[in-house]
Amino acid sequence: MISKNLTAASTKPIILGILKQGNSYGYLIIKKIKEMSGGKMEWSDGMLYPVLHRLEKDKLIRSEWIMSGDSRPRKYYEITELGKEALTLEKEQWVQVNAVLDKIWDVKPST
Amino acid sequence: MFDLESSIRHWLRSFRKYKAFNHGSIREMELHLRDHIDDLLSTGCTEQEAFEKAVREFGEINPLAREEYWNLTPKSVSTSLLNTIMLNNYIKIAIRNFWKHKFYAFVNIIGLTIGLSIVFMIALFVSDELSFDHFHTKKHQLYRVVENQYYAGQPVFPVAVTPTALGPSLHEEYPEVVNFTRVVFQGDRFEVGDKKIVENGGIMVDQHFFEMFSFPLVQGSIESFREQINALILNEELADKYFPDKDPIGELIKLGDEEFLVTAVIRDVPGNSHLSFRYIKNFENYLANNPDRADNWGSNWLYTYVELEPGADLNSVNEKIIGQIKANNEGSVTDIYLQPLLDIYLGEVDFTVEVGRKGEMMYVRIFTIVAFFILLISCINFMNLSTARSAKRAKEVGLRKTVGAHRNQLVVQFLSESVLLSITSVILSIVIVALILPSFNELANKEFSLQVLINPESGIKLVMAIVGITILTGLLSGSYPAIYLSSMKPVSTLKAQVVTGKQGATLRRVLVVLQFVISVILIIGTTVVYQQLQFIQNVDLGYNRDNVIYTFVPGEHSGTFANELRQQSGIVNVGLSNRHPGYVLSSTSGFDWPGKNPDETILLHYMGMDEHYMETMEMTMIEGSAFSHTDSAVVIINEQAKEIMGLDDPVGQTITASGERKIVGVVKDFNFKSIHTAIEPIVIFKLPQPNRVYIKYDDREAENIVSIIEAVWNKHLPDREFDYYFLDDDFAEMYDAEHRTSRLSSYFAGLAIIISCLGLFGLVSYATEQRTKEVGIRKALGASVRNLFLLLTGDFTRLVMISLLIAIPTGWYAMDKWLDNFAYRIDLSVWIFIFSATSALMIAFITVSYQSIRAAISNPVSALRNE
Repeated sequence: MISKNLTAASTKPIILGILKQGNSYGYLIIKKIKEMSGGKMEWSDGMLYPVLHRLEKDKLIRSEWIMSGDSRPRKYYEITELGKEALTLEKEQWVQVNAVLDKIWDVKPST
Repeated sequence: MFDLESSIRHWLRSFRKYKAFNHGSIREMELHLRDHIDDLLSTGCTEQEAFEKAVREFGEINPLAREEYWNLTPKSVSTSLLNTIMLNNYIKIAIRNFWKHKFYAFVNIIGLTIGLSIVFMIALFVSDELSFDHFHTKKHQLYRVVENQYYAGQPVFPVAVTPTALGPSLHEEYPEVVNFTRVVFQGDRFEVGDKKIVENGGIMVDQHFFEMFSFPLVQGSIESFREQINALILNEELADKYFPDKDPIGELIKLGDEEFLVTAVIRDVPGNSHLSFRYIKNFENYLANNPDRADNWGSNWLYTYVELEPGADLNSVNEKIIGQIKANNEGSVTDIYLQPLLDIYLGEVDFTVEVGRKGEMMYVRIFTIVAFFILLISCINFMNLSTARSAKRAKEVGLRKTVGAHRNQLVVQFLSESVLLSITSVILSIVIVALILPSFNELANKEFSLQVLINPESGIKLVMAIVGITILTGLLSGSYPAIYLSSMKPVSTLKAQVVTGKQGATLRRVLVVLQFVISVILIIGTTVVYQQLQFIQNVDLGYNRDNVIYTFVPGEHSGTFANELRQQSGIVNVGLSNRHPGYVLSSTSGFDWPGKNPDETILLHYMGMDEHYMETMEMTMIEGSAFSHTDSAVVIINEQAKEIMGLDDPVGQTITASGERKIVGVVKDFNFKSIHTAIEPIVIFKLPQPNRVYIKYDDREAENIVSIIEAVWNKHLPDREFDYYFLDDDFAEMYDAEHRTSRLSSYFAGLAIIISCLGLFGLVSYATEQRTKEVGIRKALGASVRNLFLLLTGDFTRLVMISLLIAIPTGWYAMDKWLDNFAYRIDLSVWIFIFSATSALMIAFITVSYQSIRAAISNPVSALRNE
């Protein structure tokens, strides 16, 4: 299981990353995250929505209600240009963190 | 049995407890849950299992709400307050509302428009009065030297004229006085080519006049005016009149018997200058002809203006100069002080001799108060009608609140609605003011034009004031409805149970009462002002000014001219005097009589007349006899003089006044000054041939009288033009300001009442409309038209009665104070109040009746069927 704090910290890049691959709505985004993490990230589904709304308020994503055919109406989210920039920034940061951690793991303990 | 739908509904209900979730986000989560359940069902779960799993994985709602709450920042609210989309909507709704309730909108706009028109006109008037003499660049450094004279047994005698020698001596002795000019008013006979016209409005000034005052030059130069003592400066009007198609500079004009050289032309003196003149002569010229006057300290006859150095302290200068006349003129009882230039026009002190016309601060104040009240009444109308209609708007408020309107937004909506309305009224009222400006100018004796709006100096201020008034009116009149309506509970408004709140009704009553209090006070005020002005114009002057013509004849001709006139038919009598009967300003303390206390200085006025004058003017002798043909070295005194001189039996006594003179009689007090002042003591000399000829004519000959006199004139004075004046015209002019004020204030009062009634009319119409059904039912049950009428009018009649109870004592007190300003005043009679009360009641009653009767006689069926 991945800890709560880490999950929270990674939510933003994960959502932006998913939306960069294509527009999606809340349930589908959650489903994708669960699949990709193999159920290892400790999420309660509902907590996604405040995050989505905050991202929308910050203009990183935008939303639109879409009715297609006979299915239920869905609120689709789409990443904005600002969101893409934010995602690049997040990615760099995570890569840096990762690089630091990699180096630390590689160091053999000097006895 | 598990019911999926009701479980979902139950689950959703728990979101509604939190403000953080709006309709959209709850819907979003519902769809999430349903998608999840569908997925689980497809994997073979039962509905109950699927629901429970989905809810569990969704997580707790409480922390979710907390997270979501952070997303609700005030930022979103503040932007939506000024949201243009909503603003458009407000305007759209406002226009629809006006359109739907045309009558109320009409009453509202008309009331406000009339009110604002009056306010604008008063603002024009007041700002003009306050602008007097402000165009002088040195306005804060310029002062006029004025006097306080102290005489035993008499109140302080303020005089604005000063002796010839005062100006130069102040300039010489006090370094603070950097410049001075003396100003003498006079008229001259102009002779240019074959034109011979008497012009008034000339002044003689010292050479520094133009350095002190800002009267701009159009042509020529001031230098040559200083250098040449026979220099003459014309204003544009006179320059055009005498030299319509040539350059006036360097031309010669004969004034009286002397030739003058036109050296400059100045722009016409603006209307807001207390010094008003059309041509200027050099005072040096006068002094050259009258060298003995230059050092005169005894005779007060000209105006002295001084310029103090910048930053000089008025009080310390006043302390230094106070005794300047006493120091130079032994036995003088005169103190002097400096009166700031800006205080001259609207000053509180009524000087015995005053330059031209003077304004009255009292009228400026009265009009300002009236303007304020009228604006208040108009705003009250608006508030009243808006709150009355609030029941109709309550549903709108409820609906707006339900779909998420904040209270602030509603306040903004209602305020923008009332500001929109007031802007409409302002535009309309500017149009109205523009249309009636000519008549207003005539009435107020001013020359306003709408060009003042474009004038960079005053225009901007005025435009700012108008914009300010507009917004203030809008906010003021919209504030109550805005606050009241926006506080309504959406549920109760939508259930349509609330009628107008009790509070609203009470407030409306208070406002109606306030409105009528103001109107009634205005009626009382106008009536009292009117009566007082009638009174002072008809007060017993001690002589009869009707059917009297007067003219000026050189002394050597006046006797024969008068004698011949007396032979003419249509002429009742002819008398000669050296003064205007309503304008005797000469006075002296140089008289002596038996029993006079040598330590006391007593001021006595004096004038001269022939033996026919008293009879001509219908004056009454109290003791002794009038002058007779054979008398010489005799005087007549008035009752005031008898009292102040302390003579019990004056007839036969001798007084010393430029020689010994015998008192032959006492004349009944007559008014020889303004009616504003009480009668003062006067000594009348017998003169053989004074130059003013007063002709009393028979009323039946009124049409021919001028030609009768002119025929005699041409016989005796063929080379002089015949100028004549009617005595009662002079009085009309003297009370011109009062006349105008009384007419203006009666218009204002009338309009204030119309505005109040308009408001009342709107309110009653509304109240009656509200009670249509009640009236129908009562009528169906047998109520008579009379019962219904009383029912509908009773409430408002009561309110008007309460207003009367407040207004009458207030009006009485205020008007009593005002009347104290007059030496001759009416007593406040009960009739004034009865008249005011009845007229207010009548007007209100008629207003209320129209709607009430209409409702009372309507067919009950139509009233009850309208569902």
